[in-house]
Amino acid sequence: MPRRAGAVVTRLLAALAVLVAVLVPGSPAWAHAQLVAADPAKEATLTAAPASVTLRFSERLNPDYTTIVVSDAARQPVPAAAPTIDGASATITIGQTLGNGAYLVAYRVVSADGHTVQGSYPFTLADPAHPAAALSAAAPVAAAPPDSSGGGTGPLISLIAAGLLLAAAIFWYARKRRPPPR
Amino acid sequence: MTSPLSRRGLLAGLGAAAVTAAATPAAAAPAAAGVAPVALATAGAAVAPAETGIGAATVPFHGPRQAGIAEDPPAHAAFVAFTLAAGTDKRALGRMLRLLTDDAARLTQGIPALGDTDATLAALPARLTVTFGFGPGLYRAAGLTSPVAELPAFRIDRLLPRWSGGDLLLQICADDPLTVAHTQRMMIKDARPFGSVRWVQQGFRRSPGVQAPEHTQRNVLGQLDGTANPRGPEIDPAVWNPDGSSTLVVRRVRAEIEKWDMLSVSDKENAVGRRLASGAPLSGQSERDEPNFTALDDTGLPAMPDFSHVTRAHVTDPTLKILRRPYNYDGAPDASGRPDAGLIFAAYQRDITRQYVPIQRRLAEKDLLNEWITPIGSAVFAIPPGCAENGWIGEQVLS
Amino acid sequence: MRKSRQFLTAAVLTAALSTLGLAACGSDDSASSTGTPTPAPSVTAVAATLTIKDPWVKAAGAGAMTAAFGVLVNDTDADITVAAAESPASPMELHEMTMKDGKMVMQPKEGGFVIKAKGTHELSPGGDHLMLMKPAKAIEAGDEVSFTLKLGDGSTVPFTAIAKPFAGAGESYDPGMTMGSAAP
Repeated sequence: MPRRAGAVVTRLLAALAVLVAVLVPGSPAWAHAQLVAADPAKEATLTAAPASVTLRFSERLNPDYTTIVVSDAARQPVPAAAPTIDGASATITIGQTLGNGAYLVAYRVVSADGHTVQGSYPFTLADPAHPAAALSAAAPVAAAPPDSSGGGTGPLISLIAAGLLLAAAIFWYARKRRPPPR
Repeated sequence: MTSPLSRRGLLAGLGAAAVTAAATPAAAAPAAAGVAPVALATAGAAVAPAETGIGAATVPFHGPRQAGIAEDPPAHAAFVAFTLAAGTDKRALGRMLRLLTDDAARLTQGIPALGDTDATLAALPARLTVTFGFGPGLYRAAGLTSPVAELPAFRIDRLLPRWSGGDLLLQICADDPLTVAHTQRMMIKDARPFGSVRWVQQGFRRSPGVQAPEHTQRNVLGQLDGTANPRGPEIDPAVWNPDGSSTLVVRRVRAEIEKWDMLSVSDKENAVGRRLASGAPLSGQSERDEPNFTALDDTGLPAMPDFSHVTRAHVTDPTLKILRRPYNYDGAPDASGRPDAGLIFAAYQRDITRQYVPIQRRLAEKDLLNEWITPIGSAVFAIPPGCAENGWIGEQVLS
Repeated sequence: MRKSRQFLTAAVLTAALSTLGLAACGSDDSASSTGTPTPAPSVTAVAATLTIKDPWVKAAGAGAMTAAFGVLVNDTDADITVAAAESPASPMELHEMTMKDGKMVMQPKEGGFVIKAKGTHELSPGGDHLMLMKPAKAIEAGDEVSFTLKLGDGSTVPFTAIAKPFAGAGESYDPGMTMGSAAP
């Protein structure tokens, strides 16, 4: 039984290794800060104007090296205060009530190892109580090309999945090896 | 016995011109003007070097401003800082500076110093300059108020005493390391009665002829270093006081090269704010383009990251710029091969407090490049005016 | 750079030539020396005879023997003899270095130094030199010391030398030599 469990773990780990190798081209991207949660969420359509944007990353942020910008459909930055940092989260407070339309959130943060991570995602505000913002209807935001330094969401989700898988495998393997309780 | 004699007095018999012509036996005079190289033969130490343009080139020593500041930096440098011996007072400082001025005046022109035990090594000055700097301690020793004060502490500093401070500085620069070595040795010997060597920092730039002089050089991190320097007519208002004086900050900045190695090119460019290959600001196309701090990229982020070195160091007012004259250093690696390398950052400006300190404050507060550089030495010096042929460096201060 | 240097060289050569005559007339401002009385370097006393170039003296403590060096330049068509040297700083002798029992030692130079017509004669550590037998006070680095050379024809050549710290060309003193024999 323990032998079989070991073999399963080995196979799982091998699969994981392949997964990681496929997902991570070249550079050791897994060591870098990654966006793990966003509010407003990526590609969300909101029905009420957000007062702030909060981004949560996979590691603690250095306030000195954290930039978040929200731009409207005309690529004009929306006035906002400098980000406040709480551990791995950064929040900017938007300085005005946004009108309906398409917006782009862009971020540039630095990992503990000094690697710059930047990326962007769109969201849309469609508050039925408000008319559309003047420009937004005519000029929807084109999705920005995912930044080479790791803004893409696909690899991110896969990585999280892979991480969970690895954790589960280790947990399982460890349980199998533990001596039975007396 | 000690008299405020002018240098002319020292050169009894030949007069002032002897400073540069000391090597000229009357018999050598017929050498045609325009053909004659520097006449180097001090009798008894006669040398006829097979010189090249680089080896024989000289920078005038005498003048209202010291040499070694506004000229293109030669390839090699030694920054030699001294701690004055107890009891070295104003009079002793005068004696020391007369001696050292005499050495510098001769050696920079390819003439051996008095009592030069290796006179042949003086033959190729290779643009040798010797620049004198006075630390706060020199003024204290002379009972005078120092025009420069130690820098405030910056949070990024990891200063080591062995690279910091200094009462007297000699910045020795030449396009040849043997020339620098000889000059350093000769002048240290002559300074010995007045003080001890506090630290020596030896550095290098590209060898002469490797790159056209107008090209910005790279540092050991591969970055073009000095793009934002004042040039030509911009130098005067930034560097020189009306009396010909200036100030110098020398910082030893260790490069964490192997950490830097871990970065991709784009990471490095974000840290610096410039393209690595061209030196162009991330907001522009070519090296000399002014960085545009309001330019945005496709996603609305500032093209110049607000934490990049260039963004943080940038100065618009030309009178607040500093003249950087840095040299690389590269010591022996440790047993595991980790390099001991970095930058001897040398910056000239009229006023350290007004020009240098605000820049360094901004950088200490926020500069992504700080992740890969560590200041481990720091010193400040007043640069006294230059001197005439019958004068000595420091005479305006110490007379 | 090179071009301007050549220009400088030419200018310097010219200047040097013109000052040779000037200095030989004794108009050198060493006459302004203060602190120690310089033996009358009067404008009229010195004929255009001998000059000393790059003079310096080795710094030394009070009472410790030391020496002055430089290059004697004879710009005339006749040989010149330096018969003696004087300084307010110390009694002096003219010395030469010579081999004795396989060792370089110094000894007084019989008959003084002879500088050939249009010739030069170097005084250097390890060679001929002007010996300061017993300085009354320490000669400190950077001090300027006055000297007078007495020539064979009775004329004098004053000069001032800067004191340099110097360690080199280790000279050993002839133990047989009587110290202070030339003391006034």
